Amino acid sequence: MKNLIMFWARECPHCKRMMPLVNRLEKEEDISFEKLEIWHNEENADLMRSYRDIIAPKCGGQLRTPTFLNKETEDVLCGEVEYETLKEWTSK
Amino acid sequence: MKKYWRCFVCNDIHYGVKPPEQCPTCMVLNAYVEISPDEAKKVTNPSGEKFDREKFLRAIEEFAKKNEFQVNPDQEKVQMLLEGLFNNEQNHGLKYCPCRLITKDPDEDLKLVCPCHFLVHETYQNKEDGECWCGLFVKRR
Ligand code: SF4
Ligand SMILES: [Zn+2]
Repeated sequence: MKNLIMFWARECPHCKRMMPLVNRLEKEEDISFEKLEIWHNEENADLMRSYRDIIAPKCGGQLRTPTFLNKETEDVLCGEVEYETLKEWTSK
Repeated sequence: MKKYWRCFVCNDIHYGVKPPEQCPTCMVLNAYVEISPDEAKKVTNPSGEKFDREKFLRAIEEFAKKNEFQVNPDQEKVQMLLEGLFNNEQNHGLKYCPCRLITKDPDEDLKLVCPCHFLVHETYQNKEDGECWCGLFVKRR
């Protein structure tokens, strides 16, 4: 099983749009994301901050939501993307 | 370094490296004296009133009017973002962007107070249908 995280925020419209796509992908492929909300949970926020050096360079220098992170490869994808793009990213 | 300045005639507050030469409210010249952040806070918000959501919406609509952008016509999106901004003010002290996380570096994090300087976001710049990172503001079409 891959080690995938989705950092998301409760009041972020991008995350709201991506969540059903993520759920669909989890159903169709044999993967699952650890979904960590970052504005209402300090532990999750600290975890996201601990990946700042990996995430920020790929997300406009910032910690944006949603951010998808593969913990093993340290591969990062952020923002609203098409279903196929997300699927391709997870299959890498 | 930016500091606080107060007009000794009409109590206008200015936050900046230098005070204005002329007070834009009472027009008096050389009227600004440096004050402490605490004093600035008391002068600008004597009763410690919280900013409310509707007020903020009206403020950013007014702010957008004279600019090339507008508040997103998608009201559902706007309401979701306002909810986030006010939860962030309540839980984290300032109206931080609902779609980005603070780093805990205070200077960095001031850049995440809404409205931020989104004109430089790659989601806005050089794009016909540009918007701020969250989509609270969109380029006027
Ligand atoms: S990206 Fe938009 S919503 Fe976020 S702080 Fe900037 S202006 Fe506000
Ligand atoms: Zn004055």
